[in-house]
This record gives sequence, C-alpha cells and structure tokens, in this order.
Amino acid sequence: MKVSLDIPWQRYALIAELAQRCEGKCPQFGKTVLQKMVYLLQEVFHIDCGYDFDIYAYGPFTPQLLQDLDLVEHTGAVKIHPVASMTGGYEISPGGQAAALIQKGSDFLNKGEVKKAIETLVDEFGRFWAKDLELRSTIIFVQRDSQKQGKLLSADDIVEIVKQIKPKFTNAEIRDAVEELKSKKYLEPVA
Amino acid sequence: MGKTYEIRDPIHGFIELNEWERDIVNHPVFQRLRRIRQLGLTDMVYPGAMHTRFEHSLGVMHVATKMFDQIVKRRQDFLETELSFTAGGLERDRVLVRLSCLLHDAGHAPFSHAAEGLMDKDPTTNKSYKHENYSAAAVAFLMQDVIENHPLNQNYKITAQEIADFLNGRVALGRVLLWRSLVSSQLDADRADYLLRDSHHIGVAYGRYDLNRLLVTLTIALDPETESPVLAIEDGGVHAAEALILARYFMFTQVYFQHTRRAYDHHSVQAIKHLLMEAQRGGDLANKEAFPSPTSRENMEQYLKWDDWRVLGMIHRGLASEHGDILLNRQHHRRVFETPEVPNTSDLEFAEQVFAGLDDLVSFVDKAESSWYKFESADIPILLRPGQGDEELTKLSRLSTVVSGLKAVSRTRVYVAIENKEEALERVRVLRQQKEQKEAQA
Repeated sequence: MKVSLDIPWQRYALIAELAQRCEGKCPQFGKTVLQKMVYLLQEVFHIDCGYDFDIYAYGPFTPQLLQDLDLVEHTGAVKIHPVASMTGGYEISPGGQAAALIQKGSDFLNKGEVKKAIETLVDEFGRFWAKDLELRSTIIFVQRDSQKQGKLLSADDIVEIVKQIKPKFTNAEIRDAVEELKSKKYLEPVA
Repeated sequence: MGKTYEIRDPIHGFIELNEWERDIVNHPVFQRLRRIRQLGLTDMVYPGAMHTRFEHSLGVMHVATKMFDQIVKRRQDFLETELSFTAGGLERDRVLVRLSCLLHDAGHAPFSHAAEGLMDKDPTTNKSYKHENYSAAAVAFLMQDVIENHPLNQNYKITAQEIADFLNGRVALGRVLLWRSLVSSQLDADRADYLLRDSHHIGVAYGRYDLNRLLVTLTIALDPETESPVLAIEDGGVHAAEALILARYFMFTQVYFQHTRRAYDHHSVQAIKHLLMEAQRGGDLANKEAFPSPTSRENMEQYLKWDDWRVLGMIHRGLASEHGDILLNRQHHRRVFETPEVPNTSDLEFAEQVFAGLDDLVSFVDKAESSWYKFESADIPILLRPGQGDEELTKLSRLSTVVSGLKAVSRTRVYVAIENKEEALERVRVLRQQKEQKEAQA
C-alpha cells in the first residue's frame, strides 16, 4: 500500500492566486465569490481542483474550500475583512505571504491549461457580484446535474428550475444569464 | 390522523411515529441500522460508544420536524410571499422532510463513516460515491412499495425517487431544495442530534448545547449579499449558536478526530478491504476492494448484506488480515507526529520533512480533511431585530469574538506500527532538533 502525505499546495496556492488576480478587478472578492469562481473553474473550464460541490438554495457550495481558506489566511497568504455595507459579506485580499504560497503551487498554476483557464475565468466572471455569480453557477449546476441524470434541458426548463430554487430572481434575469452562458458555450449541451 | 406510536429516546424523550413511518422503520433496510454503530469502533477509546444509526435516524427525523415546524410557525408569510411556498405545499414538504431525515443514513456502510473510503467510484465524476448516494439508492431500489403504496400517502403521493433526490441533493427538487439545509448545513438536524447523542453515550460533556433555545430562535431569512434564503438564528439565540459551534469544535478535537479513534478507523477500513477482496475472490462481489456501486437493485441487495455484525464475526474468526488481529488485540498503530490544529506553511514543510525522514516506517497518514466529521469555520447567519421592520442578517463571527477566533482544523498526523514507535519518535526528535538549530541560526 502506497502511503503519501500529499499536502494540497495546489489548492492553497489557487486561493492566493485568485485573491491576487481579483484584487481591483472584482467588485467584492469574498467567500461566496470564491466558492462560485472555483466551482466555475472546475465545471466550465474542466480544471480539477479537488473539490466536491453540492447544491443548496444558495447555489453550489463545498465546505472544504472554507477549510482551506482558513488555513491560507493563517499562512498570511490572504487577508479576510468583513465588509461594512448593506450587502455585508467579506472581502478577501492577498496577504504578505501570497507570492510564497503561490510559488508552492506553481507546478499546478503554471500548467498551460490551468493558467489560461484562470485568466479566462477572471476576465469573464471577475466583474460580477456574488449574487450574479450565484445565479450563473446555479444555472450551470442545474444543467450539469440534469445531464448526469440523462435529462437534456431546454433553456426554458433551466429557467423554470432555477426560478424555483432562486425565487428572488425574475424570469427575465434568469433567462438573460442562461442566454449569456449559452452564447459563450459554457452551457452545452442544451436541448 | 390515524394511530401514532411513541419510541422512548434518551435524548428527546419520546419520538412519535405514524403508521406509515412505523412500517418504514420495520422495513429490513431500516432495521439493518440497528447493526450499524453510530461511531464505528470508537468504543475502543470511549467504551460507551455502542449506540447505532437506528436511534440517531429517529432523532434526526424528530429534530428536523421541530425545526421545520418552528420555521413555518414564525415565517409562514415570508415563505409564501417571498419564496412562493403554499400552505398545502408546506404540509407535503413536512412529510417529505420527515421521511428523508428518517432515511438519510439508510445506506451507511459497516462502522458508519469509517468505511466510506471503500465506496465505489462514480464514473460520471471520478469521485467516490458517498453514503448519501447509497441511502438514496436503498430508498429508490428497495423501499418503493412501503413508501408509495401506504394509505397515509394517498394525499401526498410522495415517491421513493423524490426522497432519493432529496438525499442526493438533486436540482429536480426545485424549491424543496431549501429544506435540504435541515439535513445538511451548519444548522442541520443531523449534527444537532449527533452532538447530543454521542456526548450522552460516550459520557462526555463536550457536545452539549441548548437545543431548545436554538429551536425557538430558528428562522429563515434572505442573505443580503445574494438574496438567497438561508436558515438563521434570531439574535436572542446568539449564545446558543456559539455553544453549538464550540460543541462541534470540542467534539471534533476530543472525540471524532481523537488520534487513537482515528487509528481504529484505519484498521477497520483495512480489515473490511481485505474482506471485500476475499468476497471478490469467492465471486460474491463485482468490485475489488470496494463495495458495489449504488446503481442497481442487485448491487444494493449485495451491499446491504454488509453490516457490523457480519464484519465483526469475520474479524472474530480471524478472516480479516493483520488489521483484524490488531482490532482483536488492541495493538493499534501509533501516532508519532502531528501538525498544529491550524498549521502554517513552515509547519506543513516540516511535516513533509518528517514524512520523508520516517520513510518506510510510516504505516498511514491521517488528515482532518479526510475525516467525515470536520470542523470547518462555516458561519451561522444571525437575524438582528426580527419582526421590528428593520431586520438585518449578519454572521455569528461578526458578533462573537469566541467564534471569530476559531479556525478550521487542518491537522495532519503520521502513524507507525507499534513495534516501530520508538525508532520513529527518535527520528522525529532529531528532525525537530535540526529544524530548531536552523531557525536559531537564521
């Protein structure tokens, strides 16, 4: 039996890398945005980061990412500040040890496909608020989960299911997000 | 309404069942839970830990019902106007929640979470199935008749597949997905029950907290950041919420991730792995070193034949390899190194040096993240000024310095066989000395 230690440097480094890349680019790079960005990185860009997401009324979520974030904060690679605004939440920014931790995960982060995926992720999704990312990641989860069950959903089906899960969004908002994801070919196949 | 039955419970007093639920409890799939211990071989450390998934499953149904009733009682208007629930729909949801919670652990492997690592891989995700997937499959493949054809289901028409979807967290649930937080979230009935139950049976006070206070302050609100509905606690329950978080922290560090208990998890998994290989050799199972996939009725019938009694009998007969012998003689492998609970980069680098230095002596590595029971720092939403027209949702960690100071436990441990313990400890001592010398020079 092979025994290994396997410290997941690549996961820790990814958090620091995203904090660095999103600084000044994302309106509020907080815990929710981190969850949804990593979900999109795995599902849309097919980069296996080692996380296992489940769906809740608040969209795809994995507690492992919060656990990793705590450790990364403890290393000094990120700082987490509560945000005093109407929307609340947190803001994650790079810490003094970010570069050192990113270096520890450089084998992963410097792979061509990973680097390109992270760049595209931040370019395409970095401008969104947590609420918008939660909607988009939920749409993708709905499409992927149904596909796994052998059901090919139409855009109308997706709007209907997402509306039930996230009733605060209007049908028009959900449809716009579906069309946007479809046009970028992030939502394939759709019936 | 029909006849009701009460079962005496050491934590909640009496747990009430209707005739439909009693029939489900009497089904062989549910009765098997009497033969699955809640905490595996934890009794090797805490001798009182002999309770089973059977009583826990009843407890989760009971607590989830109280949570559901409390939320509906306090927030029915909110549920109907803001989230589009209806009174009739809520009545049906209550039944679905009760049955799903009752059956949430129906697919546990022998020794509960310990053997979860032996579950087969899902080819669609390339990740191992989880016990929830086995629970869902047990319901969908084997309990359809008792669920769907009971007279008390005439008005609801609840299907076995719906319960399976609830347990698997499928998007087909739509708005009902909200209630999944009652069985899987920071405020779920599952941990609400097991913290109290495990504490009671083990004889520790670490897991105790004020469940009644939590229940009367439980509510639902919209997260201002995303406008998603979330379970929350009203501000009057802040200290009860703190106690819940502390109970989770203490139970994790003192019980679930206790170093000797984790060694017995390792040995029981290795023993079962050997038994699975032997069964494969005998033509009983389709997969080597893994339980059958939860993908067919036949597989689930095979899988559910595995319970603690069967495994313990095989261990007792000397059929479970050297790990079975270790269990019989309490000669478990010993922890010779561990990182701090929340390690920094230097701690992790030192762990890598120790691992390399111990080399062939290492028998296994254990990580907090690979334990099913985790202590992660997920927050509890707190609703300030409920019902006063200026409600505000915040996070417990913003109100509590106790909670904000707690970080997720990410400890890693290295174990060696008992005969290698002294040599391993000496190697670790030398490595630590070298590290300290280097640090002093720097």
